[in-house]
Amino acid sequence: MEIKILGGGCPKCHRLEAVTREVVEELGLEAEFIKVKTMQEIMAYDVMTTPALVVNERVLSSGRIPAHEEIKGWLVDLSK
Amino acid sequence: MNITDTIINLLQSGLGGLAAYLAAHVLLCLLPAFFIAGALAALMPKEAITRYLGRDAPKWISYPASALGGFVLAVCSCTIMPLFASIYKKGAGLGPAITFLFVGPAVNILAISFTGVQIGMDIALARVILSLIFGILIGLLMAWFFRKDDAAHAEEANNNNLFSGKASIPTHSIVFFLILLGTLLAGTLQIGLFRDIFYDFLIPGTWAVDLQNFLDGLIPPDPSLGIEGVSVHGLFLIGLLILIAVSAIKGFKDIYEGFSPWTYITLGLITLTLLVASFSVQTSEQGLLVGFNGRFVAEALLLAGAWWMMAKKFTESQRQEWLWETWRFVKQIIPLLLVGVFAASIARALIPPIWIQTLAGRNTLWANLAGVIFGVFMYFPTLVEVPVAQTFLSLGMHRGPLLAYLLADPELSLQSILITNSVIGKKKTAVYVVLVAIFSTLAGLIFGWFI
Repeated sequence: MEIKILGGGCPKCHRLEAVTREVVEELGLEAEFIKVKTMQEIMAYDVMTTPALVVNERVLSSGRIPAHEEIKGWLVDLSK
Repeated sequence: MNITDTIINLLQSGLGGLAAYLAAHVLLCLLPAFFIAGALAALMPKEAITRYLGRDAPKWISYPASALGGFVLAVCSCTIMPLFASIYKKGAGLGPAITFLFVGPAVNILAISFTGVQIGMDIALARVILSLIFGILIGLLMAWFFRKDDAAHAEEANNNNLFSGKASIPTHSIVFFLILLGTLLAGTLQIGLFRDIFYDFLIPGTWAVDLQNFLDGLIPPDPSLGIEGVSVHGLFLIGLLILIAVSAIKGFKDIYEGFSPWTYITLGLITLTLLVASFSVQTSEQGLLVGFNGRFVAEALLLAGAWWMMAKKFTESQRQEWLWETWRFVKQIIPLLLVGVFAASIARALIPPIWIQTLAGRNTLWANLAGVIFGVFMYFPTLVEVPVAQTFLSLGMHRGPLLAYLLADPELSLQSILITNSVIGKKKTAVYVVLVAIFSTLAGLIFGWFI
């Protein structure tokens, strides 16, 4: 799957990426991480607040860092 | 004059400024302010404000909502830029977006409480009120100047549900914000109710006087330069702050793994520090006179309330996010602030007062413009503008130009100009910068007339 982290590189974005990577590793998924940093590209996803988590072009969260378990739930569903 | 003496002198005034800072000001105001900023970033549902910033929102709602949004949402730079771009491109348009951008950096809880304690409530209040009014005015002017572009934009923006998210702020969150705000106010307001001592006791011994004399020798107080020196009470508080710093590094870094014993130790130490700071302590020949006052009672009640709410009303992940945000602000701001205070205290000893007095000693148009231009060209990190302003004040700057400087510095930093430029383009950015410069100058001038 393709995981995008939307955000200009603030501490929150790093934190979101770290948590997501943990989950990916835990589930043993094959995933490609892409960091989306430019405002134009971020705006294309219709998110107003960063960091946002986009998996397979679907916006899962924005403006917050979801809990480990929450991300795990999404990734389990999406990898089925 | 001997060079070594000069250097020692400068270092002494730098360290003196730093110590006086930690001992007196930073504590009672900044400690709660950081927790409030963290709570706003972590516990405030953004949709509660953004729902009023959609494309169809009427002006009389979207402008005030933008100003309010700047105040409560813009405590983090991660939030400012995407929100600004969204409001501009997909929401209420250029005007409210500019209002949001203008209000954010100048009117946040950290900047306001810090300015209030350090420089005076008059300047802090003027900063809030003028920023809100001018933010709206500048937004309206920008929208009017570029009304054609904006109309074209509104047609381009596809109709989406970006701004339709409905959320309200839960009552317990509001109460929690108020309690935290209360600890800030109880710690800083200088009113009789808080100052009157109702019970005191003496820790006997001559050590207190000896220690005070030693501290005065180390950092000589000099009221003419605004150097306050360090009291025995202050020394104790500096010690507590160092303990907090050490335990916070262990307790807050991995907060997402859960609350560790270090987390509780840090929170406990912070509570203790706020309580100790609220005592009245006087040094006398007989010993150290410790007095309990209204401030102590108020702080104790409010802190107990904050602990209770944190334990009962919020979920584990909300608590973690709150502390993580708070810690992030501290890490981002405090190191630069300490360096800034040190440098500003040295500058106070280096700059001849006559320079400042000639340039900005009186409230004239040129003096205010000088304040603004200095603010534009000098880029200071968040909050460092406050100690810099205090240095100017002690060197004889008039309060009018001082306000002009304080308004312009955070608004027109290089960083904010670049952000604006990347979203709205060169032409609009140039107009915005000119408008902010004009309005800041006027603000200083008008404020200067009244005092």
